[in-house]
Amino acid sequence: MNDFSELENELKKLRPARPSPALFERVEEAMVGSESAKIIRPDRFRINYGALGFGLAAAAVLLLLAKVNTDRRQGPAESIAQNSPAPETKPLLSARRGGNGIDGSRSPNEFIPAGATQVVYNTRDEGLQFTDPSEQPLRRLRYQTQETWQWRNPATGASLRVSYPSEEVVLIPVSGQ
Amino acid sequence: MKDREEVMENVATHEDWKSCFSEVAPGLLLFARQWTRSPADAEDIVQEAFVKFWRRNHTVNNRALLYATVRSIALDFIRRDSRRARREANVFAETESTIEPQFELEDETQSALAAAVDSLPHDQREVLVLKIWNELTFAEIGSALGISQNTAASRYRYALAGLKKSLQPQ
Repeated sequence: MNDFSELENELKKLRPARPSPALFERVEEAMVGSESAKIIRPDRFRINYGALGFGLAAAAVLLLLAKVNTDRRQGPAESIAQNSPAPETKPLLSARRGGNGIDGSRSPNEFIPAGATQVVYNTRDEGLQFTDPSEQPLRRLRYQTQETWQWRNPATGASLRVSYPSEEVVLIPVSGQ
Repeated sequence: MKDREEVMENVATHEDWKSCFSEVAPGLLLFARQWTRSPADAEDIVQEAFVKFWRRNHTVNNRALLYATVRSIALDFIRRDSRRARREANVFAETESTIEPQFELEDETQSALAAAVDSLPHDQREVLVLKIWNELTFAEIGSALGISQNTAASRYRYALAGLKKSLQPQ
């Protein structure tokens, strides 16, 4: 039996004052800050390892296929290659001029790097933040890019291209003026 | 209105922290006000405690932990500033009546009731605040304050008895 039920009901009618709206804003800022710090602390750069792995696997398969194709074409071209050493670009041009598209100056299995591009298709400023070890505020920028690597076989004209998305987070120290 | 239990269960998730915080903030603030006179200081304590609690991603079946965190940070807050500590030292004196829990008072009866709550000894008022306005069980109160469940229950009864006595017409 509770002798105080009436008193308890009266007490429950007393409503605590609501916190100021500023408190909600401050808590939200702190929440966002802690979320950012949690993400950044393990590593500075984040790479989409799944996409990278898939891209490398695809590149390996393409290289194998290219090797199979070029093996079938090997023959007298090899002896010609030994007789006419030349800079890398020249045979390509001469081959084009000659119209046969085959460069005899190097091994038909050899792929040379032909280009690498990194296209930043999105940049997001995620604001200032404080990380635990540093007292200085840091600006957090997130770059989303598409990286493309190209190789070319001068002998066969075959080209290989690997493209994969990547994401990079950069922290830039901000100093007060 | 969301069921309080459901809200509390979701306190550790990112999605629901806002609704949870708006639900528990008034009670947390009232609880924190016991260690500080200034509402702004109490809000600082609640902010720090809630964010710390969220960061650690505790399972919130253990509600007492949230209140224990507020209490711990409030005590740290007092220790950090010696001048403040001196000023707030009488929080723990049983005769003080300067700490006013903030209520939305509607009439004279409620004002008298709030004043009577203010005049309670600190250890009783602490239990009362957790029980009435934060709806913790005695087991949770005991866990939050580091006392036994029976001690929490008896302090609560003493608090009610004290209130009843002080509210009786002279």
